[in-house]
Amino acid sequence: MSVNEALDQKTPTENLENWQPKILVFACNWCTYAGADLTGLSRLQYPATVRILRVPCSGRVNPQFVIKAFQKGVDAVLVCGCHPGDCHYTTGNYFTRRRFLLMRRLMEYIGMEPERLQASWVSAAEAQKFQQLITEVTEQIRALGPNRKLRDVQWEQWNN
Amino acid sequence: MGTMEQLTLQLRETAREILESKKAAAVIGWEMGTFWYSTAPAILTRPEETERLVWNEYCLNNLAKYLLDFQNTDEKVAIFARGCDYRGINRLIQDKQIDRDKVLIIGLSCPGMKDDKKARELGQNADIPLAKKCEECTYPDALAYDLWVGEPKEAAKPAKAEAKVFPEVESLEQMTADDKYENFAANYEKCLRCYACRNVCPACSCRECIFGNSSKEWSAKANNLSENMFFALTRALHVAGRCIQCGECERICPVNIPIMLLNKKIIQDIDHLFGPYDAGLDPEDKMPLGSFEFTDPEEFM
Repeated sequence: MSVNEALDQKTPTENLENWQPKILVFACNWCTYAGADLTGLSRLQYPATVRILRVPCSGRVNPQFVIKAFQKGVDAVLVCGCHPGDCHYTTGNYFTRRRFLLMRRLMEYIGMEPERLQASWVSAAEAQKFQQLITEVTEQIRALGPNRKLRDVQWEQWNN
Repeated sequence: MGTMEQLTLQLRETAREILESKKAAAVIGWEMGTFWYSTAPAILTRPEETERLVWNEYCLNNLAKYLLDFQNTDEKVAIFARGCDYRGINRLIQDKQIDRDKVLIIGLSCPGMKDDKKARELGQNADIPLAKKCEECTYPDALAYDLWVGEPKEAAKPAKAEAKVFPEVESLEQMTADDKYENFAANYEKCLRCYACRNVCPACSCRECIFGNSSKEWSAKANNLSENMFFALTRALHVAGRCIQCGECERICPVNIPIMLLNKKIIQDIDHLFGPYDAGLDPEDKMPLGSFEFTDPEEFM
């Protein structure tokens, strides 16, 4: 699924009471995606606010994917991968760590709320952690409300 | 001014010698531009052309990027280099855009260039201030070279860099999230997306740029704030850890967007998170985003 397709399920014109955050999760194929799968298999409930996008490695997530997601109307982005030391490609997540440390600070610097871009390590066995993580992030974003920063023209009408 | 005029003669002499002896197929330097306060980069290939070379207080262009014109030739190129040009050349070498063996670096010591926009306003007799990028310059001289023009200088190896702090970045950081965003939006509302900042940047050397082709759907042709911000942030993150702080993007911007505010923020964060680093000083250096430590901070998890 491409970024555009993942986000194509558009929020109806907002009625803030029923508003649900839309969270894009970049999940690494080897750990987090399997972890999310296990969450489902274990029947652990978590909010249906996430769109999971599978990537070969958290190191695959280019900062421009994240900015694009915000443009297209996502309220928060979560980048997840294997724990340091456990990367399927040995070192991919170490690069992710540096990259998103910088990117998060840059986004905060231009006025995005830091909660809207998060990163976390979730292994294939951590179903509960995944459940908690999604619940927590959803709560944080619910408290913040919809994101209106960086959005592109199709949202302009909605902004006013 | 006397010394710069003398140096101009030496520059021409050196360039002529290089071209006559065929040590290099071309020499990259500066020539007079249309106005008294402007110069333009000059690529010379014949000895008699070297009379066009100048070295004055308005040689603002960073020449490094012009090496890319020789990316696909076997010829050696000579280039005049101050600190900023030198760091730009290293940028290209480190990014594997050009071989060190193909470049003949002619080192120069730079007194700091003057602000051409102020010069146009104030006129020839006024006291013209230094260009912003030169005021903030930390490495005015080429640190390594094959030839040197001017007063001989000891090739001073820079002291270990300290973690940089930029006051303008710090004051922005104090603002509330919404104010920060408003400020950012006001800056990039003006952006024309002419891509002059990309074209002039020694760190922007991708053969195919995502902003060069709208059919890739990364960036639309429409000129609006969201697209401008996408461009600004993507570019800032693409040059993260590679920006040599030459300030050319900001100087060249036709609508005066303070582009370096983003780059400086990243430079400052790199210094504080991963240790002090000045890009482009040594092509053998490990790049901050091309390397990692097991002990890197994990504050966002």
